[in-house]
Amino acid sequence: MSQISRRQAMAVLGALGLGATAAACAGPGGSTAPGGATGPSAPATGAITGRVSFAHWRGEDKAVFDELIKRFAAKNAGVEVAQDISTSNDYNAQGLQKVRGAAIGDAFATFRGAQFNNFSEAGIYTELKNSKAVGNYQKGLLTAGQSGDSQLGLPYQVVFPMPMANMDLFDKAGAELAPKDWDAFLGMCEKLAASGVVPISWPGGDVGNGGQLFNCMIANNAPVDDMCAQIEQGKLKCTDDWFIRMLNQYKDLVPYLQPNATGTAVEPAQNLFSQGKAAMLATGSYHIAAVRNLGATFPIELVFPNTSTDGNAKYEGAYNATFILGVNSASKNQAAAAAWIDFLSEPANAGYYANQTAQHVSVKDVEYTNSDLKRLSPWLDKKTALAARFQFQNLDVRNAVEASATAVISGTSPEQAAEAAQKIVDERL
Amino acid sequence: MEAASKKRRSPTRVNPALYLFPLPAVAIIAVFLVMPTLQAFQYAITDWNGFSAAFNYVGVDNFVRAFTKDSLFTNALTNNLKFVLLVVIAQTLFSLLLALLLTKNSRGNVVLRALFFFPTILSSVSVAFIWKFIYDPNFGLANSALGAIGLEGLQGSYLGNNSQALYWVAVTQVWFHAGQMMVVYIAGLQAIPRELYEAAEMDGANKWQQFKSITWPFVAPATSIVVAYTTVQSFKAFDLILGIAGNPPKGSLDILSTRIYSTFANSEFGYAAAQSIIFMGMIALVTWLQRRLLRLTPKGE
Repeated sequence: MSQISRRQAMAVLGALGLGATAAACAGPGGSTAPGGATGPSAPATGAITGRVSFAHWRGEDKAVFDELIKRFAAKNAGVEVAQDISTSNDYNAQGLQKVRGAAIGDAFATFRGAQFNNFSEAGIYTELKNSKAVGNYQKGLLTAGQSGDSQLGLPYQVVFPMPMANMDLFDKAGAELAPKDWDAFLGMCEKLAASGVVPISWPGGDVGNGGQLFNCMIANNAPVDDMCAQIEQGKLKCTDDWFIRMLNQYKDLVPYLQPNATGTAVEPAQNLFSQGKAAMLATGSYHIAAVRNLGATFPIELVFPNTSTDGNAKYEGAYNATFILGVNSASKNQAAAAAWIDFLSEPANAGYYANQTAQHVSVKDVEYTNSDLKRLSPWLDKKTALAARFQFQNLDVRNAVEASATAVISGTSPEQAAEAAQKIVDERL
Repeated sequence: MEAASKKRRSPTRVNPALYLFPLPAVAIIAVFLVMPTLQAFQYAITDWNGFSAAFNYVGVDNFVRAFTKDSLFTNALTNNLKFVLLVVIAQTLFSLLLALLLTKNSRGNVVLRALFFFPTILSSVSVAFIWKFIYDPNFGLANSALGAIGLEGLQGSYLGNNSQALYWVAVTQVWFHAGQMMVVYIAGLQAIPRELYEAAEMDGANKWQQFKSITWPFVAPATSIVVAYTTVQSFKAFDLILGIAGNPPKGSLDILSTRIYSTFANSEFGYAAAQSIIFMGMIALVTWLQRRLLRLTPKGE
């Protein structure tokens, strides 16, 4: 082997470095396009065998899904479903990156709103319009999974982001359960406070859960149903009268929240409610299972903080259709993934999921045997507004707008809080 | 002339096979360090959203936006600088104090050192959750303890109070890492010859004079290490902030690393990459500045 000089060696290493630089300078999108994603065509058909990765964020539902997987495998020999579970925060932040190449997530779930839209734009979904599953859902609840004419996802859960109520405490205080307007709601809080309990436990220190109250507060205040989308587009402003009115109503709530509510995380807020120290927990029906696990045995109802001032409210509650199921367009095992989604969408299996997790589902003809779900089922037929906060596509805008409510609770004037929020919105326009 | 040319071209000739040995390391560094860094620089001048094949080169727009049209970024920058300053001062003083008190190798001191070092071995997520509950205004240890000794008036909202939240997280950060820095100082203190103190005592020097003239010159290099380490650590207190304040942290607790994370989560990869480069530049600049300003080396070195 002939010898080379140090200079020649450096030249070789330099060339390698330049090559790496050139490789790095390939277009950002070019090398990372989802492998094989072809947009919304129906999932491939074929044998229901092989391994299906089911990507989602509901770790608390793992055991229930394990049982459903067993039942699915019993019906389809040779198929295996593995749950790839992330925390909801991680899933929100990185879900798309994880699922896009189909290394995981042959079947997957998305949050309603920005995440669903991102997945749709990235062509991750297959078209489920003509699937066996879609016929099992209540038609009105499928809109959150639609994009244009396509039914890309199937919103599986129906949750009510409204304060849960301890019926025993309400009965003891003689408080009204369905206030028709804002004064009646405040009167109800007054009675609860007079009975010696905290009327509302609100996790103001937890952005995700504390923000659910916003869905109720904005529903009957806004001039249009797509108010949050319009705020983001600059057509409506946080400094508008209707928004300031809503913030003033938040201010009205201060005496009825637990002390230092803006510093309270979600677990302590749940504890206040579970222990009977607070009459309401202002998160949503999705916390029923958690509250029961903390030992709550009292009957639970839902209360809508009705912000109308004349009793003629457009909505009598708020709901959200979420945990949107989809089949990955880049999956190598679409047939089995679609069969798994079909299986979850059968009323018997959806019913098992619902009753075990204490969450309503958007599948038709489900028999609710869980006593909480049975009691709250009438809400499925009420005139409820689709949770507005998920209209925001930009998370910075959503957080800023919701933070205006938290700022008011902590003592900032509604006008100042609205201006601070609008500043962020304007920067993002 | 030919000989002169040869001399210029190759002063040393080595077996080329020797150059194969560093290649695996060079390849790993190139793939996992150099290329991602270069890619970050490239993304920073695009409006890429992280998943679309479509993107535009926008030049320095992302960098200009960060400083002129994004109050969330400038707020995070301000918070971060405040946090670094607070933690560096508090942690340096506290760990030096601990080290001075616990330098002697008595049994009691060994136990106390272990106690103060203990938080360092915990994961930052555990620390965040422990302190989140300490600070909880309803069930937390802090308010319960104040209530138990009749100081209800001092009970507070802690993390819920915008003007105080950052200070309380700084307390946690100091609690978390002071033990580690204490060990650095103890190592420095134990290297000081005892004879110097004995001589100083014989000359009638009081404790402060001994500290100023003997202890400080010897522990000054350790201070340089502590300050540099604490600075970088405080800039990157991402996991502690996210764990203690939630995701996303509210404005008063948003620091650069959490802001960058939020920007990535908001599908603004190009802009987030630009923020990351600014962040990297900030750390490099602050570290360089403090090394320039804190030339804490003993005389003669």
